[in-house]
Amino acid sequence: MSILYDEGQDAIATESRRVLEARVTKDDLLPLLEATGEYHQGFWATAKEQGWTALALPETHGGLALGLVELGLIAHQTGRTLSGAPFLTSSFGAAKAIELYGTADQKTRWLPGLASGETIGAIAFAHGADALPQHPPVAFDDERLDGTAIGVTGGLAADIAVVFAERNGTPVLALAELGSAERVAVPSFDNSRCVAELRFDGTAAETLLTGDAARDAALHILALQAVITAHEQTGGAEALMETARDYAVTRKAFGQPIGAFQSIKHRIAELYGLVELARANCIHAAAREDRDDFVTAAAAARLSATEAYDTAARDCVQIHGGIGVTWEIGLHLHMRRARSLAIEQGSSLFWEDVLVDRLSGEAA
Amino acid sequence: MSDLEAYRAKAAAWCEAMVPEFGKAARKGLSVEDDLALGRRYQKAKFDAGYAGINWPTDLGGQGLGHLEKITFEGEEMKHGFPNVYFGISLGMPVPVLMQFGSDRAFVKERVLKALQGEEIWCQLFSEPSGGTDLAGLRTRAETDGNGWKINGQKVWTSWAQYSDYGVIVVRTDPTVAKHKGLTYFWVDMKAPGVTVRPIKLAGGDSHVNEVFFDDVKISDDHRMSPVGGGFGVAIATLMIERYVATDSAGFGPHLDLFVELAKDVQLNGRPAIEDGRIRQQIARNYAMRAGLDSINRRARLMMQAGMTPGPEGSLNKLVAVRSRQKLSELALDLQGNAAFAFDEHASPKDDWASSWINAPTGRIAGGSDETLLNTIAERILGLPQDHRPDKGIPFNQIPA
Repeated sequence: MSILYDEGQDAIATESRRVLEARVTKDDLLPLLEATGEYHQGFWATAKEQGWTALALPETHGGLALGLVELGLIAHQTGRTLSGAPFLTSSFGAAKAIELYGTADQKTRWLPGLASGETIGAIAFAHGADALPQHPPVAFDDERLDGTAIGVTGGLAADIAVVFAERNGTPVLALAELGSAERVAVPSFDNSRCVAELRFDGTAAETLLTGDAARDAALHILALQAVITAHEQTGGAEALMETARDYAVTRKAFGQPIGAFQSIKHRIAELYGLVELARANCIHAAAREDRDDFVTAAAAARLSATEAYDTAARDCVQIHGGIGVTWEIGLHLHMRRARSLAIEQGSSLFWEDVLVDRLSGEAA
Repeated sequence: MSDLEAYRAKAAAWCEAMVPEFGKAARKGLSVEDDLALGRRYQKAKFDAGYAGINWPTDLGGQGLGHLEKITFEGEEMKHGFPNVYFGISLGMPVPVLMQFGSDRAFVKERVLKALQGEEIWCQLFSEPSGGTDLAGLRTRAETDGNGWKINGQKVWTSWAQYSDYGVIVVRTDPTVAKHKGLTYFWVDMKAPGVTVRPIKLAGGDSHVNEVFFDDVKISDDHRMSPVGGGFGVAIATLMIERYVATDSAGFGPHLDLFVELAKDVQLNGRPAIEDGRIRQQIARNYAMRAGLDSINRRARLMMQAGMTPGPEGSLNKLVAVRSRQKLSELALDLQGNAAFAFDEHASPKDDWASSWINAPTGRIAGGSDETLLNTIAERILGLPQDHRPDKGIPFNQIPA
């Protein structure tokens, strides 16, 4: 796959940016922080209406049969404008697990709804810092799940979840309907992520894969999501870099724009470097789906995008001085999002290990 | 196979065939003079094989191909450590500028052909003791002398001046106007009376840079390559010529796989260092950074192939890669502990961590310091304001010293 965007791909980027900038504003997003479990309805309606939910899913099940490159372009824009819900990535992960590892029946049952956005999916793999635990806290036995999955992004609104569970010490990738599971809302620093604790108590579930294949598949799903999230992080970092630049050319101190001071201009130039390295890694990773080195490319994208967004959040606030820490200006929306995205799909600690295992020949 | 891939395959095969005569093993233990002599033979072999002046016009001895073929060949060539370093500046900047701005075309053609075949070397006389980054602040002066000019002053950091036959030089011809406006560009004969070259030994032990003194060096007006007072524009054009060069995300230091091998070989707290979180983190971070540069460069090549202009992000290469190399080299020495003390001053920075480390600061200063590159990114790409420049617009001879 080419790593140069074609006209259609450029149009996806331009159009999604236009729509999002018109429909998702800081004033919509700030109140969501103060309510647990609410997301930006207008954002999700837009995602469905624009076909973003269907973008990377197969045509046979209501998808548009595009891929990571296109979904990545959308994610870059949602990162710029701060998407109002996490479901583009969480549903995509669930849908890919069903598409790649599910039965024909499971695909027919779930993919059309995930493609239209009427069904919301979530991924429940992680426990604490461990994005793919050696011993997941959820047990799978006799087509039933028992145990608690903590901190599931989108879990509060999801209809189904793909769960990384365990049966007699063997990993299982399971698909559960959440209708009968208890979910407890987790009040978070980034509330529109709809984070929930999923408490399974004999919840009916179906097997997608078991054994080492389940672990490999779970890592592949995480890598797919990580590439999308990395695009979102890069978009957020880019927006913050531009915000910092715009402020630095207008705000004056000691008789000149603060951007004329090297302590400020070099900080912004360094952000440019981080953003462009992350963008380059994202573009590369999106083009490597289905290649042997996909997980390596995804890890590199993820690491550089996390660093770019976290650094941009810190530095953009710093460059703004006092106004930067006010509720009203909303830079903390990005600060919060930078951290929630840094943790979803596994933190840098997880991806560093995944990457080094591959570089040192310790992983297949 | 695309045409370019076919070109690459042929270039790779040619380079491979040159290894016995010109590779690292053949160069081992040679004095600089013998290595230069070998380098001249290598440059002649390149010329004969059609790999010299790849993107230069055919009527001046070049191959008439594009930037892509040039960087493709360079990418293959750099794998082998051939003795080409003596000609890098010469063929990179001064000679192309001569091709573009030299007025006596017969003279130009003769020089270009000799330079391409390794018979003559050109240097670039820009930096001075009073300033390198602030090029327009230079103080070497040329005064009219009959129909020609007389040069007095000093240049510094001039690469390979001790082996150069000619040089291009920017000098001040009018100190009564603003500093950028009073400069003029010439070529000079490095063997002319009044030119003195003194090598400077650098921290790593080598002496490829020099001080060059000019004492009443007389040149005729046909050495002039810019309008009188128009030298700064030609100087900037010189620096722009080398935009399309092969890059190395390892910052011309050791590649990351050498670090991974080292970390697997040595022990830390009784375990292989590759299992230590601090080491793993640095490997992962450096990989992500270098992979980003590789991706930027791959994209730039594809854009050139498609007839587009690559984006400005290519300007990150040197800034990011050399910093990464410097810190990783320090860590590689830490990993070896007291076994790292053994030092071979002739080892190559491309495969020896100590050599890479001791020479890394040069990489962060030469050809645009990190700070200059950050300023360029901030001002040219991001539109941030210039630094405060108290000497702006003031006649040069009224700027407080």
